[in-house]
Amino acid sequence: MNGLRQARLVAAREIRERLRSPVYYVSLGLMLVSVLAAILAPSLVGSGGEKKVGVAGETPASLVRTLEGQARATGTEVSVRRYASTDAGEDAVRHGRIDVLVVDGRRLEWQRRADEELKALITGSAQVVAVQERATAAGIRPETLGALLAPVKVGNRVLGPVAGRTSDDETATYLLSIMLFLTVSVYGGMVLTGVVEEKSSRVVEVLLARLPPWSLLAGKIAGIGVLGLVQVAVTGVAALVAVSVSDLADLPAARASVLAWAVVWFVVGYTLIATAYGVLGSLTSRSEDASSVTGPLTVVLIAAYFAGFATIGSPDALWARLVSWFPVTAPFAMPNRIAMGAALWWEPLLALVLTAAATAGLVVLGGRIYSHAILRTGAVVKLVDAWRGSSVAARVRTRPGRGAQAALVAGAVALGAVAGVLSRDVVVGVGAGAIALTIASRFRKAHR
Amino acid sequence: MLEFEGVTKRFGSVTALDTCTFSAGPGRLTGFVGPNGAGKTTAMRSVFGLVELDAGTVRWRGAPIGQRERQRFGYMPEERGLYPRMRVRDQLRYLAELCGHGRRQSLRSVDEWLERLGLADRARDRVDTLSHGNQQRVQLIAALVNDPDLLVLDEPFAGLDPIALESMSGLLREVASAGRTVLFSSHQLDLVEDLCEDVVIIDHGRVVRSGDLAQLRAGVPQRFVELRHRGGPPDLTRLSGIVVAESVPGLVRLQVAGDVDLAELVAEVRRSTDLVSFSYRPPSLPELFREAVTA
Ligand SMILES: Nc1ncnc2c1ncn2[C@@H]1O[C@H](COP(=O)(O)OP(=O)(O)OP(=O)(O)O)[C@@H](O)[C@H]1O
Ligand SMILES: [Mg+2]
Repeated sequence: MNGLRQARLVAAREIRERLRSPVYYVSLGLMLVSVLAAILAPSLVGSGGEKKVGVAGETPASLVRTLEGQARATGTEVSVRRYASTDAGEDAVRHGRIDVLVVDGRRLEWQRRADEELKALITGSAQVVAVQERATAAGIRPETLGALLAPVKVGNRVLGPVAGRTSDDETATYLLSIMLFLTVSVYGGMVLTGVVEEKSSRVVEVLLARLPPWSLLAGKIAGIGVLGLVQVAVTGVAALVAVSVSDLADLPAARASVLAWAVVWFVVGYTLIATAYGVLGSLTSRSEDASSVTGPLTVVLIAAYFAGFATIGSPDALWARLVSWFPVTAPFAMPNRIAMGAALWWEPLLALVLTAAATAGLVVLGGRIYSHAILRTGAVVKLVDAWRGSSVAARVRTRPGRGAQAALVAGAVALGAVAGVLSRDVVVGVGAGAIALTIASRFRKAHR
Repeated sequence: MLEFEGVTKRFGSVTALDTCTFSAGPGRLTGFVGPNGAGKTTAMRSVFGLVELDAGTVRWRGAPIGQRERQRFGYMPEERGLYPRMRVRDQLRYLAELCGHGRRQSLRSVDEWLERLGLADRARDRVDTLSHGNQQRVQLIAALVNDPDLLVLDEPFAGLDPIALESMSGLLREVASAGRTVLFSSHQLDLVEDLCEDVVIIDHGRVVRSGDLAQLRAGVPQRFVELRHRGGPPDLTRLSGIVVAESVPGLVRLQVAGDVDLAELVAEVRRSTDLVSFSYRPPSLPELFREAVTA
C-alpha cells in the first residue's frame, strides 16, 4: 500500500467521522439558512410595499387626492390616514405605524432618514396643489391645467460601479465573498483542530508508524476539503435557485459561471489556508496553544478577506487588480471581481497559477516543518527548530487565556461584513469590523 | 530478525542511543530493559522511522526498513494514543486498512481480536467511554490487527492488573511461538525473566548485555547461594571470596565466585549451624541487571 492510497483512507476517515457528528449538518444548515434568508428576505418583507402617509393639521384634501393620483401614476402604493392632532401623528411616526407625517401640508416628519422616493412624491404633490391654487387665482381653467400638469413617468436606472452590474449584483457579491471566507476559515480551522487533536491524543505516533506524515496531512486536508466543497456547492446552488424564484431581476453576479469560479477559488483558497493551518497545528500539542500559534495567520487571513471585500466597490481599480492576483489575497478577491464582471479572461488564470505556485511552495516548506514537528510533544515547537529538525527540547512558550481570541476575531469580521452588506458601503463594513476587533481585544486585555 | 547496527541518536547534548548493536530473533520473546532514560523508547521508535538517526541502521530480515516493511509491523507506543471520539471497531478497522488490508479482511481480524480480548460488546462504543484497562486492550489490538511479523511493545505491562498481566504474557508467548519476532520493554524484571528467551539491557544509551538470557546468566562469574538454617547464623569467617548479600534469622544469601568449592562451603556451614536447605544458582535477571547497570 503506497502513501497515496493511505492518504485516501485518511480522507475517507475524516469524511466518515465528520458526517457522523451533527456539527457538520449544523454548519451546513446555518450557512444555507443565512444565504437563503439574505436573498429571499428582502422580497418577502417587500421593500417596495405600501407606503403609509399620515396627515395632520391643516393639510388640504386636494393634497391627499393629488398624492393618491401621483402615486397611482408612478406605480407606488400609498395609503393615507388623517390624524386629529400633530402629536398623535408624530407618535405614529415614532412607533413606525406610518412612514411619514405631513403637517399643515408643508412639513414632512420622518422617524429616521427620509424615504427619498416618498419625499419626492409628496413634495411633487404639494407643488401641484400650490400651482393649481395659483392657477385658479390667475383664472386658468382647471381642464387646461390638468392637461398641463399630467404626471410624467420618469424611469430609473442604477448603473453600479461596473457596466451591466447593479447594486443587487454588489449585494450578491458581498454574500458570495462572506460565504467563501467563512467556509475557508471554518474548514481550514477544522484542519487545525484535527492536527492538534491527533497530537494531543498521541494517536499520531500509532498512525505515523504506519504511514508517512505527508499522507496524513494531505489526506486530512483533502477529506475536510471535500466536505467544505459540498457545503459551497450546495449553498451556491441553493442561492442560484433562490435568486431565480425570487422577484430579483436576472443578476449577472449570481449566475452558474460565477458559482463555478467560486468553487474553483474555494478549492484553491482552502488548500492554501488549510495547509498553513495544518502545518502550524503540528507545532502544538495542546488546543489551548493553537490559537496563539495561528494568531498571525488568522490576522493575515482577515486582512486578505477585507482586501478582497474592498475590491467589490471598485473592482476595476489597479490596486484591486493587484490584490486579486496576489496569491494570498487572490482567493478572496478574484471571485468578487469575477462576479462583478471586472476580471479580464486571463486574470483568473494568472491568479490561479500564482496561487497554485504559492500553495506548492507552502506544501514543500510546510511538509518539512510538519514532519519534524508532528512527533514532538510537550511545549510549543519553535518554527525555526521545526524547520531545522533540530532536536533540542522545545522552549516553553505559553500564552494563557488566548483560546477565545479566534472566536472574537471571527465575530468582529462577521459583524463588519454584516454592517458592510446592510449599509452597502465597504468603508462602513471595514470600520465596523475594525472597531469591533478593537473593542474585543481591549475586552480581552482587561479581562486578563 | 530485527537488527540494530551501530545505532546512534543524539538529542542536543544528550546521547539517547550510543552505537547500539543488538538483535531480536523470530519465534522468541526479547525483553528490553534498562533504567529510566536509558533509551528504550528511542530505540523502539527508530524501528518505525519516528526518530531520525545520527548514525547506524535498523534492519529487518537483512534490509533497511521502509514504509512497506512497517506495514507488516505492529507497534504499541509508550504514550498510548487512539482517536478518543472514534468507535472501537471503526478505529481498529481503519488502522488495519492503513496497513494495506482490505475492508473485509480488516473487519474479520478486528472482530476476532475483540472477541478474544472480551471487548466484542464494546465494539460500537467510543474509545473514550472505555475504562483505562479496556483502552489498553484496544491499543494492543491496534498493534496486532495487521497480523504483524514483528511486534514492538513499549512497556505493555504498565498499569495492568494481575489477571490482565497473565493474559498479556500468554498472548505474547503465543505470538512468539507462531514464529513472530517480539520485542518489548519493561521495568518488571522478574516478569521479563519468566517470559523471555532473550534480553537486551541498555544503560545510558549503550547496550551493556544482550542475548540469550540463560547464557547471559551462566556467563557471569558470580553465583548466588541461599541457605536456610535452624539455630544461630553460620560462621563463615574462615572462608574467603564470600559476600553476605542478606542475612535474616533462618536465611542467609551469599554472593560467591563461580569456582567456589561448594563442598567446603557446606561443610563449613554445617559446622556452625543446622542446615535446612541449600541452593546454588547463577544470578537472576534483577541481579544481572544491577550488576550490569552499576558497573
Ligand atoms: N524528543 C526528545 N527530545 C529531547 N530529548 C529526548 C527526546 N526523546 C528522548 N530524549 C532523551 O533521550 C534519553 C532516552 O529517552 P527514552 O525515552 O528513550 O528512555 P527510556 O529508556 O524509554 O526511559 P523510560 O524507561 O523512562 O521510558 C533521555 O535522556 C531523554 O530525555
Ligand atoms: Mg520509555
